[in-house]
Amino acid sequence: MNWGIAAKNFYRQGLRAFLNVLVAALSIIALVFMLSLLNGFQAQATRNLVSTDVGGGHYRAPGFDILTPTEWEDFTISVSEALKGLPDRDKAEVLIQQGQLYPNRRLYPVQLRGIAMDQSLLQLPLAGLKSFENKIGEMIPVVVGVKMARKAHLKKGDTVVLKWRDKGGAVDARDVLIVDVGDIINPRIDDGVVWLRLDHLQAMTDREGEVSWVAVRKYLGSLEGFEFHGIELLMADLLALLRQDRINSKILWGILMVLVCTSVFNTQILNIFKRQKEIGTLMALGMEPQRVVRIFTLEGVLAALWALIIAVVLGVPFFIWFQGVGFDVSHLSEASFPIRETIYPDYQLREILVSVFIVLALIIVSAWLPVKKITRLDPTLALRGRAIT
Amino acid sequence: MVTLVIPCNAEDINAQKLLEQVDDNLWANTKFISGRLIIDNGRKVRTLTQDSWMEGVTRAYSHYKSPAREKGTKMLKIGGKLWMYTPRTDRKILIAGHLLRQSMMGSDLSYEDQMEDHKLSHSYSATLEGSEEFSGTNCAVLHLVARDKETTYQTRKVWINPENQTVLKEERFAKSGKLLKRIEFKDYEKIKTRLFPRTLVFRDMLKENTQTTYKFDVIEFDIEIPAKYFSQSILKR
Repeated sequence: MNWGIAAKNFYRQGLRAFLNVLVAALSIIALVFMLSLLNGFQAQATRNLVSTDVGGGHYRAPGFDILTPTEWEDFTISVSEALKGLPDRDKAEVLIQQGQLYPNRRLYPVQLRGIAMDQSLLQLPLAGLKSFENKIGEMIPVVVGVKMARKAHLKKGDTVVLKWRDKGGAVDARDVLIVDVGDIINPRIDDGVVWLRLDHLQAMTDREGEVSWVAVRKYLGSLEGFEFHGIELLMADLLALLRQDRINSKILWGILMVLVCTSVFNTQILNIFKRQKEIGTLMALGMEPQRVVRIFTLEGVLAALWALIIAVVLGVPFFIWFQGVGFDVSHLSEASFPIRETIYPDYQLREILVSVFIVLALIIVSAWLPVKKITRLDPTLALRGRAIT
Repeated sequence: MVTLVIPCNAEDINAQKLLEQVDDNLWANTKFISGRLIIDNGRKVRTLTQDSWMEGVTRAYSHYKSPAREKGTKMLKIGGKLWMYTPRTDRKILIAGHLLRQSMMGSDLSYEDQMEDHKLSHSYSATLEGSEEFSGTNCAVLHLVARDKETTYQTRKVWINPENQTVLKEERFAKSGKLLKRIEFKDYEKIKTRLFPRTLVFRDMLKENTQTTYKFDVIEFDIEIPAKYFSQSILKR
């Protein structure tokens, strides 16, 4: 009975009801889209970092800090037997040193990053280095990333002078050959980085068997002489950034909700103002005020349900289409985000259900709040249209 | 000053001895230099003026007087450490370890080059490579090999006029043998008993069209230097 009256009243509102429903539906779509895109960004950034740099964590030389280049040479360590014994798919030995590249005879400070060639833990475009012998020949083969190549005006086949220091501090310089310009999806290990074979870098710097860290697939427990840096620690800056992004998205979400609730609230106030004679008649005929409130609130519920239906009708095709084309974030690589390719939303059912439930609940509350004062209306005044002025 | 018997033929030259004589000529107990550092990076030329006081090979203090941007900058070297004070920040910083390898104020010299504190004859073993004419002078060319593995430049080559034991040119090499730096010593002038170059021209051979010229306008040897010049307390406004 209540549903019937409420539905009749709701549909009679026409364009006003439709606009309310549309605003609420678009807000739900925007909310789901925003959350899913953020999930997708986080998933891809994390995956890129893990697959190109972090692995399952690093066993590092104690004190090594990637943000302090002037101390890289002071913190190297010999690989322990426990780490040596790991299969190549579960470890990647890395040595980091400072260097100076002279493209077009201009100084370009670089990070020299030597990595074991037989590792398969990290996915890096270094196939060009594998064909070289472990002994350094006429020229030292190196690989640079696309971003580094663009900035330093380098291309495949170029030779350029590289200067570095050995373990004792003696300066050395040789010509290096750019054997490949690799497409590295993580700009953090592209810009300013020159990739070498680990054995070459060790020989160049008189650091046989020494590394800065060993990336591993999973934590092996505490190892003497090493400091373990887990994924959370190695990606702390990115995770902090994503946390901030989530806070920002909540603010945006709050603004959207205020708009939706204001729209519903406003409609309900207008409804009871315009329909006070109807309310007075119903009450004069013996309908309890609480029942009148329930009917008006049900109109809000109907708006919420229609919003959900419209959101599904409009949103699902949009989400399916967007999952196909993705969102181009190539510009982010300039800001050293570990993501360069197109990102795709990551829809998480539980998150969507919770969010939609909150939206619907807020719409219903917004529909109920203005109509609850009906319980205090004087039916005779309402009949004359003077109960609410 | 040591009086020398000048060998006439290249084969008569004792390379190590000649290097010691060069050191004796250049190194004094104390030294004051007022000079200009002309830095040409290929696009722009900057001139810095400075006063420097040096004591032996371990202590030195420099005070930059111009341009406005560098005015008041002070550098103090004591042993293997170098402190730098800049009035802009009103702070002194220790330039140690790897920072010493950075370019000094955009010049072709590193801080390490600037504070080089060893006599060549102590750090290198010299052998005579031959003789060669340079700037109209018949020079003995010495090949220097570092005595220990920690010396920055493992090999050097110096062109020395054996008649007056003055260096006219020096080249510094990487371990691989690649030429890294070339220094020309010009405008030698007799100051008291020593022959001292008024101009040094540094070139980083890995860079293009850059050079740093060090011009010494005033040179004084064996002077009294106030103790406060070699104290960290001088590193303030």
